[in-house]
Amino acid sequence: MGKDSAADSTSLLSKNVRIEGEIEGPENLHVEGYIKGSIQLSGDIFIGNTGIVEADMEAKNIVIQGEVTGNVFAHKQLEIHPSGKLIGDCSAASIDIKEGAVFEGRSNMIQSSGSSAGSSSSGNISATTVPKQHQQ
Amino acid sequence: MPLFGKKKKESKMVGQQAALGQNETTYFGKNLQIKGRVSGNGNLIILGSLNGEFRLKGRLKIAQPAKIKGDVNADVISVNGKVQGSLTAHDSVHLDKTARIEGRINTPKLSIMEGAIFDGEINMGVRAPQPAKSTAADTGRSSQVTPPSAEKPTPR
Repeated sequence: MGKDSAADSTSLLSKNVRIEGEIEGPENLHVEGYIKGSIQLSGDIFIGNTGIVEADMEAKNIVIQGEVTGNVFAHKQLEIHPSGKLIGDCSAASIDIKEGAVFEGRSNMIQSSGSSAGSSSSGNISATTVPKQHQQ
Repeated sequence: MPLFGKKKKESKMVGQQAALGQNETTYFGKNLQIKGRVSGNGNLIILGSLNGEFRLKGRLKIAQPAKIKGDVNADVISVNGKVQGSLTAHDSVHLDKTARIEGRINTPKLSIMEGAIFDGEINMGVRAPQPAKSTAADTGRSSQVTPPSAEKPTPR
């Protein structure tokens, strides 16, 4: 299933399936269903339109097209697409927020050591970014 | 720099997968480790490990390197990996050559291929099931694999 960056394969959580718990592993994950708990992968995470995640996530690249409530840590790039919604803090080496996306939280850029495909951090923050001031 | 290029960066990993996902079979790859509960409707194939519970309305396939520790509940279960826990199916259970089950199986229909290893108890609903574990609340419920009419009629 699509050889990508680090992880070999991509797992898929379809629309009507829920996971409540912790997910981890060297794998990519495509979420169209519901996850509650925590996700820690060394691959990429793609949250589709119908994906709803109430969990902290850590992965290499993260693409959000659905709803995420939780803190997000992308070692490389975080993308929030127009239909995406992130309520929570994020840390990433590169951020790409498309017009229409919703992001409420704090953003923290990581100084990436040796970013290869220098993915343009086209930080078009024309989304509704409401910086919240909450301490962790 | 196309701002509206939908599949521009998506295509890296999601080109094909953007089309999927709506009512496809859920797939947990062999490197995925889940601790917790998986529930829902639909079919599911798991190759990774799960420490927890499955409550699925649909077909569940536990494929080769999978290791499940916990109770499994689905309509049709096909096992080719290792399960430590109970397997409760609404319709049928199939154990393939490399299946290893340690635990209980509750199902109305069963098939076991030569080579499968099954260490436990099986209940197909003919005899009134004796709940083995008194602690696990689930087995009490799972033993309702509709015993047809074989209960001892003791009208009071």
